[in-house]
Amino acid sequence: MRFVFIAVLLSVGVFMAGCASQPEANALIERQELKVDPEVIYTMTVTELLEERLPQPGGESLLQIQFAVEARSDAELAWKVTWFDASGLVVKGVGDAYRKASVLTGQTRYFKAAAPHARATSYQLHLREPK
Amino acid sequence: MLKRALILSASVLIFAGCSTPTRYVDPAADDGPVAMTMDYRDFEKAATEAVDDMLASGAVSNPNGGRYIMVVSRITNDTMQRIDTDQLTKKIRVALLRSGKVVTTTAVGLNGAEDEMTMRARELRNSEEFDQSGVQKKGTLQAPDLSLSGKILQRNHKVGDEQQVEYYIQLSLTDLASGLAFWEGETPIIKRGSNSSVSW
Repeated sequence: MRFVFIAVLLSVGVFMAGCASQPEANALIERQELKVDPEVIYTMTVTELLEERLPQPGGESLLQIQFAVEARSDAELAWKVTWFDASGLVVKGVGDAYRKASVLTGQTRYFKAAAPHARATSYQLHLREPK
Repeated sequence: MLKRALILSASVLIFAGCSTPTRYVDPAADDGPVAMTMDYRDFEKAATEAVDDMLASGAVSNPNGGRYIMVVSRITNDTMQRIDTDQLTKKIRVALLRSGKVVTTTAVGLNGAEDEMTMRARELRNSEEFDQSGVQKKGTLQAPDLSLSGKILQRNHKVGDEQQVEYYIQLSLTDLASGLAFWEGETPIIKRGSNSSVSW
C-alpha cells in the first residue's frame, strides 16, 4: 500500500513538472524607457515623452522621440538616448556622450532625437545631472 | 656635493609625487573641465546634431532605394585654432555609413583622391606581372550624388570680466545633380570663461 502511494506521488510530481511553464530561452529583461536620476527629479519633471516612426523617402521609417522637462529651479541636465534593435542589441549612433542642457526655473524645454538606423525599435532615455 | 644631490633628488621625487597622474577619460562619461578651445566633446555634439537632423529630415534617404554616394568637399576652418576638420567629418561619415543610407567615396576629393590607391590600382592594367582577372575594370568607379561642405567660425567677445568664445559649425549637403542644398545645419557652441584662458 505504501509502495503504491509513493509511486502515485512520484508520477503526480513528474506530471506536474511536465505541465509547468518552461522559462523562455531568450527572455528579454524588461527595460525602462525613461530613467531619471534622483538628483534630476529633485529639480525638474519630465512632462512628456513621445515617440513616432518617421516615414522615409526610401520606404523605411525611423524612430524619433521627443521629451519635455519643466524645471522647478535653474538646473543643468545631461541626457542621452540609447537605441536598441528588435533583438535588444544596441544600435550605435555618432557618439556615446551625454548632451548637456540648462533649464531655467519654470521653463519647459523640448528635446528631440532620431534613431541612427531604421532597425532601431526601442530606446532608453537617461536623464542625469552633470557633475 | 652629496648633500646637494640628495636634496635635488628628494625635491624631484616630491614634485613627481604631487603631479596629477595620467589617466584615461571615458568619452561616454566625461564631466571633466571644459576648455575654451574646441575639444572632442564639441565635435561630437555638432556631429550628433547634424546626423540626427539629416536622418530625421529624410534628406539622406534615396527615394529610389539604395544608398547615396557622398563626397566630402571643403570644410573651411575660420577659427584661431589649428583644427583638422576630419575630426568632424569622420564622425558624420561613420554615422551616415552606419545608418545604411549614405556611403562616402574616397576616390574623389578637392585636393585629389582621399585614397590614391583607387587610381594606382588601375595602373596595373595591361601589366604582364599581374593576373588581369583581378585588376579593376574600366567604368567601375561610382560618382558622388551628394557633397558635404561647411565652415567652422569663431568669434571672441569680452563680457564683463570674462571672455565669450562663440563657435559656429555650419554644414551643407548639396545634391550634385541640381546644385541645391538638400540639408543645412548650424550648431553654435558658446563658451564663457576667464579672460586668461586662451582660445587659440
